[in-house]
Amino acid sequence: MTWYEPHADWTFADRRLIYTRCIVLWIFMVFVMVDFLVFSFVFSREFIIGTFVALALGLWFTWLIWRNVTAHAWAEREDDLIVKRGRMFRSVTVVPYGRMQYVEVTAGPLARAFGIATIQLHTASPGTDATLSGVRAEDAETLRDRITARGEATLAGL
Amino acid sequence: MTVYQAPREWTRVHPVSPFLGSGPVVGFLAIYGISRLTPNWVFGGEEEYGPLNEVPFPLIILGGLLIIGAVIGFGVLAWRRNEYRIGDDAMYHRKGIVFRQHRQARLDRIEAVDVVQPLLARIFGLAKLDVQVAGGGNSGVDLSYLRLGEAEALRNEMLALVARAKSTPDAVVTPDADLASGVVTEEERPAAASGPAWAVTIAEHNPQTAVPAAPERVVVKVPLSRLLLSLALSSATVVLGVTVIGTAIAAIIVGSVVAKAFAAAVGTSLFAGLAFFAGLFSFFWNQLNAGFNFTASTSSDGLRLSHGLLETRRQTVTPGRVQAVLIRQTWLWRYKGLYRITMNVAGYQDAEQQKATTLLPVGTLDDVLRVMELVLPEADAEALTRAIVGRGGEDGFTPSPASARLFDPLQWKHRGVRAGEQALFIRSGWLTRDVAVVPHARTQSLGVKQGPLQRLRHLASFAVHSTQGQVRPIAKNMELDDALELLDQQSERARTFRTKVARG
Repeated sequence: MTWYEPHADWTFADRRLIYTRCIVLWIFMVFVMVDFLVFSFVFSREFIIGTFVALALGLWFTWLIWRNVTAHAWAEREDDLIVKRGRMFRSVTVVPYGRMQYVEVTAGPLARAFGIATIQLHTASPGTDATLSGVRAEDAETLRDRITARGEATLAGL
Repeated sequence: MTVYQAPREWTRVHPVSPFLGSGPVVGFLAIYGISRLTPNWVFGGEEEYGPLNEVPFPLIILGGLLIIGAVIGFGVLAWRRNEYRIGDDAMYHRKGIVFRQHRQARLDRIEAVDVVQPLLARIFGLAKLDVQVAGGGNSGVDLSYLRLGEAEALRNEMLALVARAKSTPDAVVTPDADLASGVVTEEERPAAASGPAWAVTIAEHNPQTAVPAAPERVVVKVPLSRLLLSLALSSATVVLGVTVIGTAIAAIIVGSVVAKAFAAAVGTSLFAGLAFFAGLFSFFWNQLNAGFNFTASTSSDGLRLSHGLLETRRQTVTPGRVQAVLIRQTWLWRYKGLYRITMNVAGYQDAEQQKATTLLPVGTLDDVLRVMELVLPEADAEALTRAIVGRGGEDGFTPSPASARLFDPLQWKHRGVRAGEQALFIRSGWLTRDVAVVPHARTQSLGVKQGPLQRLRHLASFAVHSTQGQVRPIAKNMELDDALELLDQQSERARTFRTKVARG
């Protein structure tokens, strides 16, 4: 076994999550690049190196974002929800519906523009890291309702 | 003798309450006033430049009185608005002048009820009632201060209602039938509040309540001698000893020149030295204060813990609310076979963690087994002993593979995981040996993580997510296949136990 691959119906994060993350990344990176470009004109030509370093970093991060988002998936099973994420630092979390205290749906302006949302599952443990990023907005509401309904059906309290 | 009863109508807390809290403010003002005024006033001539010296003396007195008056006035107002009552399914508390706060603690959600008596409150025969509720954040109810009798009456009544409200399928104790009847004569009345004889004289110590506390059976008492022994064998003692001996050797062996330089260094760092010793002292003091007269008992309404030297705390953790425990043995304790147990109980806030989540400050293996019986009633003592005493992959534990040696050189041999009948055991530690125990029925969620280094060595870390607390059960650097297999098995076990508990 190389990594956790149970026979489950995995839902992968929406590819649009790559766009929103890349937009945030590149806004920052373009700022840095322009800064170095200005420096190279004003102070010394060597500053142009910074522009290329920032460009290279930006490309590398873009690749990381792509790898990270395509590795993020979740599966609803009968009694629990499995979330897997990451490639470099991989993790799998199994959250039983019965342990869920509440479910939170959030969507920032950028995410809304791209039609995606984030669903976070909270248990009584602060260690539970069960965040579903890049859920299609049209699915988010139904997914939340489905999870909540299952939680109520199997609620075990603490 | 008054018989105390929990109020069904809104009742105010004890009128002294706000001043027990604001005592330091008044004291500070008084000391500040005296220290600032005395030289000018008594000796006249001494010139000191400060903002207050420009102000005529009567004005300062007036100002001081105004501040004290404001403190008192505010206290009275706060007291008038600080009320509580008990209902059939919840305890209610409202307080606040500008921002009103209205809280209710649902009885079926109560995790623990503590009667706490800080020194000052104890002198006046008052107590604080701390109710911990499942629900994260700062969601408990904290009533300060009530008369000891009122606090105990409230606690007893709440616990009685809890016991009546919910049938407790996962109860940690099965009380004897005759004790469960709730009718207890005066002689049998448990000395829940028993302390050292001298403490009784300070205030009314054994108030009578309308609903008696459920009878309890003492499981473990920690004698003072053992507590002191445990402190003597703590790492703080080692640090202290090394420092003192090191300084002495340096002073004797090293010649005068170096000694002078050393003395100068010590002189300049005197403050740091003081802070160092103050830190050590506070460590010893806190351990002694919290572990003094420690008694763990069991009763039909839960696990009872009572401890404290100056600040006493009597806790009742309702049945089945211990989420996880950690049995720890430090390096020096190993020679005396001593252990310490801490637990996770949902609801305790960070500040209280240290004081309130000790299940056993120090005890022998025998004590540990008896305390563990309260947490895991059906556990096999033999298996438990082996789980605690063994290391690494002994006794059916799944060890960390040798490939973990490279980046976990000290602990890999000591790591091991085993799923028992009722709970998961995770052991680790090289000098300090830990065994974390999580009952299957208390598992929140599970996780497996793997970093790039671990991936090179085909390893992974398995974590059981427990409620907030000092116990963080993580089995690091397991063989990847073992970790993933455990993840599947453990979520299955947790599911079985969850449904069992839910159905009763």
